[in-house]
Formats: sequence, C-alpha cells, structure tokens
Amino acid sequence: MVTGNTKVFEDLVDFLKQKRENVTFIDIIRLAEIAASSLQSFFETFDATVYRELREIAGYIDSMRDQIGVLQVNEIKNSRIPAAGQELGAIVKATENATNTIMNCAEALMAADASDPVAYKALVDEKMMMIFEACSFQDITGQRIAKVVETLQHIEERVGRFANVMKAKDFEGFLTDSERDRAARKERLFLHGPSLDGQGVDQSTVDKMIENDDKGSQANIDKLFS
Amino acid sequence: MAVDLSMPVLVVDDYNTMIRIIRNLLKQIGFQDIDDAADGSAALGKMRDKRYGLVISDWNMEPMTGYELLKEVRGDPGLAKTPFIMVTAESKTENVIAAKKAGVNNYIVKPFNAQTLQSKIEAVFAD
Repeated sequence: MVTGNTKVFEDLVDFLKQKRENVTFIDIIRLAEIAASSLQSFFETFDATVYRELREIAGYIDSMRDQIGVLQVNEIKNSRIPAAGQELGAIVKATENATNTIMNCAEALMAADASDPVAYKALVDEKMMMIFEACSFQDITGQRIAKVVETLQHIEERVGRFANVMKAKDFEGFLTDSERDRAARKERLFLHGPSLDGQGVDQSTVDKMIENDDKGSQANIDKLFS
Repeated sequence: MAVDLSMPVLVVDDYNTMIRIIRNLLKQIGFQDIDDAADGSAALGKMRDKRYGLVISDWNMEPMTGYELLKEVRGDPGLAKTPFIMVTAESKTENVIAAKKAGVNNYIVKPFNAQTLQSKIEAVFAD
C-alpha cells in the first residue's frame, strides 16, 4: 500500500507535469489511488479521542433523527393542527349561530304584541322551543373541544418527551420580529385577555377602585397589591 | 334615573354579538339613539362627526384598542369630557389602574348583567 507523505505529493506533481498533454483513464485511476492513500495516512494521524468523539456525534445525530421521527412532526403539522383548527372554527361558528338564534328569539319576544294572550302564548312557546334547540350546540361543541384537547395532549406528550431526551433548554427571547412585536403590544396596552376564576379582580373590587376617586385612591389601589 | 335618555350613545366592540347585547340592554333602559363601531379608530372617526353623550367601549380590539381610544378621547379638547365606560374581560388590577389613570368614568367586567350596566351609567351621570 502506498503511504501518503510529502514524497507522494512530490511524485504526484511530477507525474502531472510529465503527463500534462496525454492523460489516460489509467492515469486518472492512478491519481485517485495516490490521493486516497494520502488522505488515509492523513486520517491515521488523527488522535483516537477525536475519532471517538466524532463517532459519538454521529451516534447523537442518528439518535436525534430517530427522536424527530418519533415526534411525528409532519403528521402534527399537516394533519393534527389543521384538524384542530377546523374544530375550533366549527365551535366558533356553532356558538355564533346559537347566539344569533337565541337573540333573534329574545328580540322577537321583546317586540311582540301581548294584547292577544293566545297569540302571544303561541309565539312564546315557538320561540322557547327554538331557544332549547339552539342550546343543543353545547353537546357538539363539547365533543369538538375534547378532540382539540386530545390533539394538544398528543403534541404535549411528544414535544415533552423530545425535550427530555434532547435535554433541551428553553430558548430565551422571541423567534421572529412579529412575535416580539405582538408581545410588546400586549404589554404596552395591557392585553391579558379574560382571567380564569379566582384570577383578576371582580366587579365589586373594580367598583371600590373606581369610586375612591379623590379619597386616597392610590392607597386603596396599593392595598390590592399588598 | 337622572340620565338624558335621548342622548346618542356609541357602543364600541369588535364582536357583533356583544354590540347587539349592549344595544338591547340600552334599549331596555330607554336609550334610542345608539350607534356602534368595531374598533377604537372607527369610534374616533364617528365621535369627530357626531357628539355622543356616552361611549361604552371594549378594551381588546384591533387595530386600536379601547384603552388607546380612551387616551385619544381624553387628549382631544373637543371630546375630552365625553363620559366613557369600559366594558371588558380584562380584569387584571393593572388594567383598572391604567384605565382610571387614563380618565375612564367607570369600568365593567364581562360577563355583566343589565343591572350592572344600568347602575354604572347612573353612577357616571350622578357625578
């Protein structure tokens, strides 16, 4: 076996100088052999530790590829998230339709002429039945919400497992400029959205804060933080 | 109720259902001249075209929020004295404080009922 060293490269240069005008296929094969032998000897000079580390990195990359596969990213992105979006859209539409029906009934009853009790009673019965029917949306939306929750759990389990296996640390900051802008707007304009039960302040607390206008209101507000 | 029921009222909310609910409640109270707008900037445009006796606004809207609308109204000498009630699901203490500092006349937390709306309107005009 030819061993690669300075002499080999000098031979290679000489060979190329001599054969510049008439290189054959055999010559190319010969060149490839010399080059490969040179590289092999180059790699042999690598420290065994570096080689082991490279193997570990290769193993880690293989394992990461397997874990990404387990995440089922494509299925989540192409199937589960769009399906959950459709379910949420259907929920919004169903609640909107039900609300409209109920409000139409209420408005019709408020505007109804009650001078004829029989006709008025018939109208009330009809509208009440429509309200009952409209309220049935809750059963279906409950089932739709269950499907969305299932999707969120599916994603949570996989992402949680992936983060655990990869020992991932949370990225600090924002992924995109628009994400940063949205967060800044929310903070600047106090956009928190609805609070859950037990969080936020109730109407009676709000009333106290608003009413104590000129009587040390800041002190009262401060009490709310203590 | 010492409130002039003939005064025009502007309801600002990005949800048509909520506008409809507030409009019906106001009608029940006795108000007849009720307009609506879907966000702060649309409301501001209407307020500059017509003099409203009361504004009832949501907080969380786009592009202009009710909070920004309130500050714009209080900063405009022609509109600054318009009574302004915030009706919102934003119920953090800092929201109430910010609204109060910006000059809100009253603050209603959603969900609310007709009695709450009426009592807050009365409180605003009793001052």
